[in-house]
Amino acid sequence: MSVVTRRHEEIQEKIENELPDAILDIEEHQNAPAIVANPSRVDDVVRVLKENGYNHLSSVSAVEYENRYESVYHLRRITDDREDFDEINVVAHADRDEPAVQTVSNVFKGANWHEREAYDLMGVRYDDHPDMRRILLPETWNGHPLREEYDVDQPQYTTLEAHANPIEERYEVDEDESALDTMFINIGPHHPATHGVLHLKTVLDGEVVVDVEPDIGYLHRCEEYLCERLNYKYQIMPYPDRWDYISAGMINEMSYARCIEELADIDVPEYAQVIRTLAQELSRIASHMLAVGTFALDLYGELNVIFMYAFKDREIVQEILEDLSGQRLMFNYLRLGGVSYDLPEPREEWFEKIRDFTEELPEKMKEYRTLLEGNELLMKRAEGTGILEPEVAKEYGCTGPILRGSGVGYDVREVDPYSYYDELDWDVVTKDGCDNLSRVQVRLGEVEQSARIVEQCVDILEDWDGEQEIQSRVPRSVSPPAGTENYTAVEGAKGELGIHIVSDGTEQPHRLKIRSPCFSNLSAFSELAEGEYLADMIATLGSLDLVFGEVDR
Amino acid sequence: MVTFNDAVAEFFGVEEFSPLVEFAVALVGAVIVGSIILTIVGVSAVWFKRKLNARLGDRIAVNRVGPAGLFIMPADALKLLSKEVVVPEGVDRASYLLAPILAAAAVIAAFAFIPFGSGLQVADPETGLIFALAFASLGAIPIVMAGYSSKNKYSFLGFEREVAQAIAYEIPLVVSALAIVPLVAYFGDTDTPLRMSEIVAAQQGPLLGIEGLPVPNWFLFAQPIAAALFFVAILAEFSRNPFDLPEAGSELVAGYLTEYGGVNFVLLFLAEFAAIFFGGALFTALFLGGGSGPFLPAAVWFLIKMFAFYVVVQWLRATVPRVRIDQLLSLGWKYMLELTFLNLLLTAGVLWVVL
Repeated sequence: MSVVTRRHEEIQEKIENELPDAILDIEEHQNAPAIVANPSRVDDVVRVLKENGYNHLSSVSAVEYENRYESVYHLRRITDDREDFDEINVVAHADRDEPAVQTVSNVFKGANWHEREAYDLMGVRYDDHPDMRRILLPETWNGHPLREEYDVDQPQYTTLEAHANPIEERYEVDEDESALDTMFINIGPHHPATHGVLHLKTVLDGEVVVDVEPDIGYLHRCEEYLCERLNYKYQIMPYPDRWDYISAGMINEMSYARCIEELADIDVPEYAQVIRTLAQELSRIASHMLAVGTFALDLYGELNVIFMYAFKDREIVQEILEDLSGQRLMFNYLRLGGVSYDLPEPREEWFEKIRDFTEELPEKMKEYRTLLEGNELLMKRAEGTGILEPEVAKEYGCTGPILRGSGVGYDVREVDPYSYYDELDWDVVTKDGCDNLSRVQVRLGEVEQSARIVEQCVDILEDWDGEQEIQSRVPRSVSPPAGTENYTAVEGAKGELGIHIVSDGTEQPHRLKIRSPCFSNLSAFSELAEGEYLADMIATLGSLDLVFGEVDR
Repeated sequence: MVTFNDAVAEFFGVEEFSPLVEFAVALVGAVIVGSIILTIVGVSAVWFKRKLNARLGDRIAVNRVGPAGLFIMPADALKLLSKEVVVPEGVDRASYLLAPILAAAAVIAAFAFIPFGSGLQVADPETGLIFALAFASLGAIPIVMAGYSSKNKYSFLGFEREVAQAIAYEIPLVVSALAIVPLVAYFGDTDTPLRMSEIVAAQQGPLLGIEGLPVPNWFLFAQPIAAALFFVAILAEFSRNPFDLPEAGSELVAGYLTEYGGVNFVLLFLAEFAAIFFGGALFTALFLGGGSGPFLPAAVWFLIKMFAFYVVVQWLRATVPRVRIDQLLSLGWKYMLELTFLNLLLTAGVLWVVL
């Protein structure tokens, strides 16, 4: 802790020297100190931070207060050294009537989408932003739904003219000659390879992708809005299951649990920590299996062996999780201060089930590798396509297997441990290929690592001789002190899944922002796809492993 | 050697039919061949394909409608044929509606030149091989019509790919087939080595005419390189995996088929599957000795070999991913073309030395 605070002081001094009028104040957030920056100089502050090693912009969230709006930036240090990990927040105040803050999208490209989201939902304008449009809601939407003053009953009238020909105004063809050689094509929202509802506005030159712009928001379900109107203790927990609804529910629940437990100072018994870790890693296996399978599906365009095998193995994990929580996908298993049930009885049988799975897994992984790497045509398609350089990945805030597939070993479980990960023996998997293949290989490697963790957790639980306490004593009403806020992240199946909670002293969060890994990963998509062939763009989309419940929330 | 008309004439002991009877008999032959093909296509496209692919992919597939899901065939046929024919707004109507008919007609007509054996061959012109290959290429035109007239960008991309693919693999297909023609002339001792029946006849007897060799003189063994090249070319020509780019399920939705439904879809689908069998029939006639084989009648052997080809094609579908368009074209122009010509020259050279 002392190292970190010294560094914070140093960086504060540095900024004050370089930018005399930029820092207005220093606030203390639960996770790290927050620099209150001059709203018109916030990009300079973030730039200095970036130059000094804070090279990962996790999220940008806008918060409404009685007399102002705030734009909060969460920055992290990603280096190879685990001890070097550090966080810092930047806060910019904006005017109540005409909220506007200087954009940081010229410092971090990944801020582009985050700021658009903040504008869309909270109405904070970002000056000099290259593309200040709505992102989740339709462009014709009236009002900003996360604002206090927003009236949900207000009907949304859209004139026919506004929707007469939506493509025409969105994509104007230049009259010069190069534009005549290209074709604009809408891929999605309904398309076999978009894994949900993604709309890709694509410009093709023959078969080569010249320009692609993802259009998201088709699955926006107001998750943040809903969470802000529910109680911390029980009511919010079912919702995280619906973010990344493809079997990663346990990890999503953990992301919320971690943030609020730190903020409200709730202890979790060790026994429950082990169960949580076990459940999360099983979720990760299930999610990665699906990712590998669907990637193969995108390359083949047919139901193939890889997909079927992956799905079958996922089913085993799903059954284990069902035994544990009573539900297949929408687990609602974690509770503040622990978990909802103890392990299923008879325990031996359940442990046996997990053991059988982990013992068979090495053989299966060998088969997956043979199926993927032994297939020359598949290798030709997957190798060297969808290149994402590590610098670009960091620039966009990509995390998870995407970032590790580019050779950067950033894993929240390792650098910022939670649950029981610190006590266990496992490795971070990285690959230097930067291409579609290495992203898939990272997932295969992570399945093995997860299985290692699962085995260790089972060992610990089997030999457990202390009290089997599944929940600590949590007060009847969970209400963190007014004015406190916290940003924490967990390593989701897709990357850094962060939650930013601002408390106003009541039982409901004043602001709950979800930092979705898929959202940031998708924002880098045009960098990956441009210049590739159409077929490779589809494969790249598959290798990103997007779940639209999480992108759109 | 014997077309269906010759066989019938022989059966009745007639020297020659009058033109009208000749036409009528030929029509009967065509109906027989057509029915066999349509039955095989119907069974394999709707039921067998699903069962086979499911087995290869560790699944079960249809098993609810009738025993082993067999009744899915009439059920599917009824469903597809009873659908409304929807013609989207703004399509080139004539071309849009003509394409499916043309596609089905072209590929079924092509079976006229196939020597099934047992007297089951509708036509046996002197240039049979060229005719057959011409019909094989004809299949690209309805696809272009369908893709271009649909007024859909996915269809457009699909037909563009088909054109690029058809042109790239046309020459390898023809040239690799031509490599067997000198062998036909040599082993069959004939002046008309392009006649399909002569090609089959030349493949009877032991390998390379060496007496006592237990291996038949199938050109698969006598011309293995040509056989491999022909196989790849035929896969590309008829857009089968891994060269199924014009359809490309995960990229182009359904390629040139995107805007089709109901009867029109059935016809295009039928043409597509009949084309695989036509490819199988060509491969059987050119490289697998036609209907040669012990015990069973020649026609049955021919159909078995044709079906085996289909199984291999479906097997590929389940195991190899689709190649990219640039990989496909570079394979076609940079390797296939050169290899087929080299093989032709090699064949000619070897025969020149031997003779």
